[in-house]
Amino acid sequence: MANLKDIKRKISSVKNTQKTTRAMKLVSSAKLRRTEELAKRSRVYANKLTELLNEIAQKLQKNNVDGLDNVFFKDASNPKVVDIVFVTADKGLCGGFNAQTIKRVNKLLADYKAKNVKVRLRAVGRKGIDYFKFNNIDMMNEVVGLSSAPNYEDAAALINEIADSYVKGETDKIVMVHNGYVNMITQEIREAQILPVDPSTLELNAVSTSELEVEPDEDDTLLEALVKRYIEYTMYYSLIDSLAAEHSARMQAMDAATSNAKEMVKKLTVQYNKARQEAITTELIEIISGMESMK
Amino acid sequence: MELMKLEIVTPNGVIFDAEVKQVTLPGSEGEFGVLAHHATLVSLLEAGVIVIEKADSSEVAVAINSGYVKVDEEKTTCIVDGAVVISGEDTDIEKALEEAKALLKSAESSKTAIASAVSKVEQLAKTL
Repeated sequence: MANLKDIKRKISSVKNTQKTTRAMKLVSSAKLRRTEELAKRSRVYANKLTELLNEIAQKLQKNNVDGLDNVFFKDASNPKVVDIVFVTADKGLCGGFNAQTIKRVNKLLADYKAKNVKVRLRAVGRKGIDYFKFNNIDMMNEVVGLSSAPNYEDAAALINEIADSYVKGETDKIVMVHNGYVNMITQEIREAQILPVDPSTLELNAVSTSELEVEPDEDDTLLEALVKRYIEYTMYYSLIDSLAAEHSARMQAMDAATSNAKEMVKKLTVQYNKARQEAITTELIEIISGMESMK
Repeated sequence: MELMKLEIVTPNGVIFDAEVKQVTLPGSEGEFGVLAHHATLVSLLEAGVIVIEKADSSEVAVAINSGYVKVDEEKTTCIVDGAVVISGEDTDIEKALEEAKALLKSAESSKTAIASAVSKVEQLAKTL
């Protein structure tokens, strides 16, 4: 039987942990609310942008009999080199949030390896970097700090660097993996092909039959500007989405930790009371037997 | 005069969404005005000022740095990177003006375009 003092110390330690986890949960829920708001606002912009790109792509597709003759829209069913951009958190203590993303990246790695495709990893977020470093897998980019504080300029700089490499022909396909936010209690792994833009993934709404005027009228100028913007924004949005998911995952993890701690305090208190009772009983027996022997 | 729907979206959310009479946009090939039932059009926008004539004929100016506009028969959608609204109803018009100028100056357009946009903003602010 553990002695009274030990149990008491353990109880207070667990109580302290409980305080910490509860505070972390509150912090996460406040941050989540802010990030969620940000995500909601930028979603409108993202949707409009996709819509516009979609419309122009369709118009160009109609004009060219062989489909789109543009570097951003070429066929990528048999890539030789694939870049995987993945987003994890910079910090831990958020349950399986990072592990899920890493698992998906590993699966992709295995899939592409089976098809003899060379894969280049580009990591955003310390946790993912740490994992692949530990496993001696090389990464092209290691970006820390962006996933905990997404900002448009840095996101754009990163994705443009990757897009440049695509335009130069160093890679055939760019895939993006991140753990996205669904609601307070659910996160979902999202995997998207960023380049080449796949017109089939763009939502096909009823295309207006009317002629579309484009200014400047060299089609490619506008299209290229639009694609660039589109991928920049997709990158930025993924970061925000991932951050929201991270906060919701952490909130959940900390909530679970808090209730576990509560449970443990309960158990330990019972143990403590039992031990105390036992000590008293033993003491009583000692006194009584001592008195008996003196008679 | 017939009205059309105008929407201005920035990465920070929708900043304008209403029925308007007319809108003048700073296209990359030159400024152009849009009325209801305009032919479908997509254009690049450069640093400049969007002038909106609202349903009650009052004017609102929106300074933007760059973006795109999609016009179709029913609706005009502007997708812009950064925008500052300067409206006559605003009490703090001076501050909005300062912000607008800062936004325009940070844009990556040609110097002449920015200079003309800045002077236009100043002019408009006086009339608002």
